[in-house]
Amino acid sequence: MKTLKKCSIFALLIAASGAAQQQSERSSSPAASANSLPGVRRPDPPRPTGPTPHLADGTLDLSGVWYGGGPTGNIAQGLPKGEKLPLLPSAEKILKSRQSKDDPETNCLPAGVPRMAPYPWRIVQTPTHVFFLYEGNIHSYRQIFMDGRKHPDDPDPTWYGHSIGHYEGDTLVVDTVGFNDKFWFDFAGNPHTEQLHTIERFTRKDLGTLIVQIQIIDPGAYSKPFTVTFTASLRPKEELMEYMCQEGQQDASHLVGFVGIESVIP
Amino acid sequence: MRAKLAMLIAGAGLLVPATPLFAHHSFAAEYDADKPVELKGVITKWEWINPHSRVYLDVKDANGKVTNWNVELLSPNTLTRAGWTRHTLKEGDVITVKGSRAKDGSNIANAKTVILADGKEVFDRSGAGADADSDRRR
Repeated sequence: MKTLKKCSIFALLIAASGAAQQQSERSSSPAASANSLPGVRRPDPPRPTGPTPHLADGTLDLSGVWYGGGPTGNIAQGLPKGEKLPLLPSAEKILKSRQSKDDPETNCLPAGVPRMAPYPWRIVQTPTHVFFLYEGNIHSYRQIFMDGRKHPDDPDPTWYGHSIGHYEGDTLVVDTVGFNDKFWFDFAGNPHTEQLHTIERFTRKDLGTLIVQIQIIDPGAYSKPFTVTFTASLRPKEELMEYMCQEGQQDASHLVGFVGIESVIP
Repeated sequence: MRAKLAMLIAGAGLLVPATPLFAHHSFAAEYDADKPVELKGVITKWEWINPHSRVYLDVKDANGKVTNWNVELLSPNTLTRAGWTRHTLKEGDVITVKGSRAKDGSNIANAKTVILADGKEVFDRSGAGADADSDRRR
């Protein structure tokens, strides 16, 4: 039990260290407060304030550089307080067997969906597509089809899946299927299968705040659908930088053990 | 000029942002907060590349034996946003690094503090205080 508690504190710390964007009301542990994190000398810049912007035709304007908006340390951080990930026994077994050295993200492979690396990302909108350009990790992109097409019947399993989207007021709704089962949801190693289906709702609450609500549907790994919520912040002064993870990666061979298995917010 | 630059960097060091720490791997899986190291040595190599910049140091022990250490810092992107440039360190500089040693016992460390020969601190992730270290322990 003590070990579990330590794991949960640790998971919180890691998650908070990588994702201060996560909802502050869940950061009740002292370990997760901004001032107690290693490396923190000042809090993140305040979110810009102002009304939600719109394009000339009235469409929600999501363009800009954002920070956060997905799980980093443990996807369970985004659950409503007190809820637990509904892991099936098979998924629990995979989770417990995972070693940090095998985390694809550590090995410079994509974070997948909905995991976020602690680097900025940019939303680019066109009438037919929305692109998420990621600085890291990895230096890649997601494309969301906005032209009304449907998912293919039998998509090839990929890291970011096949995404189609539409607007509902000030929310971009993105439906994605066709994932591979290779990426982890977080440092903790929470798994999924190729049956994964995500429905993401990106709501621009105001100029600086993007609420990201993600429904995870994966009957191969979870006994029921669940929804996690994270918050991204606009970083108007940031530009994306090059980030070629493969160039200097030498950590994986020195990682020992696992990060943590606790999936309950204390 | 050098002193001015160092002061600028020392000031900028305070701007290490709250979020981007271990971008692509966990701290605790690689380093042991219970194994603090203090390394003073000459820079033999300075790598300004992602996902982590690294400084290699020749460190002489009490018996005169020289060991080359591989010290991991944050990514160039994160350091740039904190005011560093690729010129902040250079080969031949004598620096002191305080940090944590790799769990697997290799001569690899993660820097918590970097101090130049003139005593200027250019990098500091220790501002979190003792709490962070104890919380990091498992």
